[in-house]
Amino acid sequence: MSYIGGEEVPPPENLTTTKTKPVSPGERRLSLAARLLEDLVKVPLFRCQRCGECILSHTAFICSQRCPKRLRNGPCGGTGEDGTCEVYPERKCIWYRIYHRSKKLNRFSMLFRTENIHNWELEHTSAWLNVFLKRIEPPVFFRKSKKKKESK
Amino acid sequence: MNAMTFKEKIGMEKFLFTSELGPPKSASAAAIRKKTAYFKNGVDCVNVTDNQTAIVRLSSTASAVICRDEGVEPIVQMTCRDRNRLALQSDLLGLGALGIPNVLCLTGDYQRFGNHPEARGVFDLDSIQLIYTADRLRKGAFLSGDTMKNKPDLCIGGAANPFADPLEFRVLRLAKKIAAGADFIQTQPVFDIDRFSEWMESVRKAGLHRKTAILAGVMPVKSARALLYMKSEVPGMRISGELIERMEKAGDPKEEGIRLAVETILELKKIEGIRGIHLMPLLWESITPRIAEQAGLIQNRPESIENGERNIPDKGMAGNPTDNKEKNRRKST
Repeated sequence: MSYIGGEEVPPPENLTTTKTKPVSPGERRLSLAARLLEDLVKVPLFRCQRCGECILSHTAFICSQRCPKRLRNGPCGGTGEDGTCEVYPERKCIWYRIYHRSKKLNRFSMLFRTENIHNWELEHTSAWLNVFLKRIEPPVFFRKSKKKKESK
Repeated sequence: MNAMTFKEKIGMEKFLFTSELGPPKSASAAAIRKKTAYFKNGVDCVNVTDNQTAIVRLSSTASAVICRDEGVEPIVQMTCRDRNRLALQSDLLGLGALGIPNVLCLTGDYQRFGNHPEARGVFDLDSIQLIYTADRLRKGAFLSGDTMKNKPDLCIGGAANPFADPLEFRVLRLAKKIAAGADFIQTQPVFDIDRFSEWMESVRKAGLHRKTAILAGVMPVKSARALLYMKSEVPGMRISGELIERMEKAGDPKEEGIRLAVETILELKKIEGIRGIHLMPLLWESITPRIAEQAGLIQNRPESIENGERNIPDKGMAGNPTDNKEKNRRKST
């Protein structure tokens, strides 16, 4: 087990969600309806890329999928000085922003877990519906309550 | 190869020395064979790059086979840019079947920087997830959960960039890679020792250097222009103005570049937690034996003397390449 700043970096358990059944046409239709609402919130607020497997709550409420490489586990090796993106030098690396925001919000340890390999079956579906259908894990809004659970 | 494998060497607490070979931009096996001659003396393993900087080159797996047949143990680099999870897993199984266990898992340079900038980047997995995938395969299971009978024997590596910002995140990425199953780590070339030491300190504080073999990257440069190019064009590099000035002032920039690389290696050897050096002679493979000798990287290798097949070069040159080639070919059959 590795520790950074006294907190544990857990080994990845199972990074695939392929055990879940394929999305049925009916569910897709339902997803479209749910996305009407979800997009209304997530697109203007977070510039949501509709991956359907939302990890916003882990990444300090900045959508990591705006990364050109769509990385889910932290920045690639190309972040320049002052945190510029290697692909679009006019932009800041999204992970550089996530790092600073999570530091500010005391959520840095939320980045410690290795995120799932993206399930492309869920691309363009509604993450809210997916949480409801237990396809993906629910967001973690309050870090403290999560910590208490772990200590139990 | 009857000598020890790279995996065994990692387990043996030896000071490791790896180098890098860029496959040609053509279907020339001869070009790879020619380059392998430089690595026969004292180099533990040679990285075979996978379409580096997104420029199409001979396949890394194919090059690795040629390399192995020449008697040089290869590390196959594997990027997530060009292949999805199906292809990556199938290539990893292929490596297992070929008996080439060493694989370096990378995310890959963005396609825009290469010679096919209009290409679609795949990035189905990232480097950490690829390490996880390889680890899962060697334990006998595919990502889908299916199991297999003949597991590939793999020695998994990852890369680390100690120079890109933010530093703490770089250590976290390393921790994630180790947690996912990386056996060895190779870093980006060091031009800024202070920053590297700072990074290593955080790595030691997290206890990561004990869980994996960290090989520090060193790149010999031919001119000040090369340094300037790296500074401006290669993202995530830290090169100080003093260094560029030093190269500019030098009478013979090539010699100065070699001296700089040797100095860096000697400095790096002093840092606690460094298990080896990874030399990246970008298209300058011929310089490897000379730097290795000057930095004292090919000493303390009794097996190379005992076998008598790996001659220690006398003055910087790799002995007689054709001679070695013949011997090694016999050795591998």
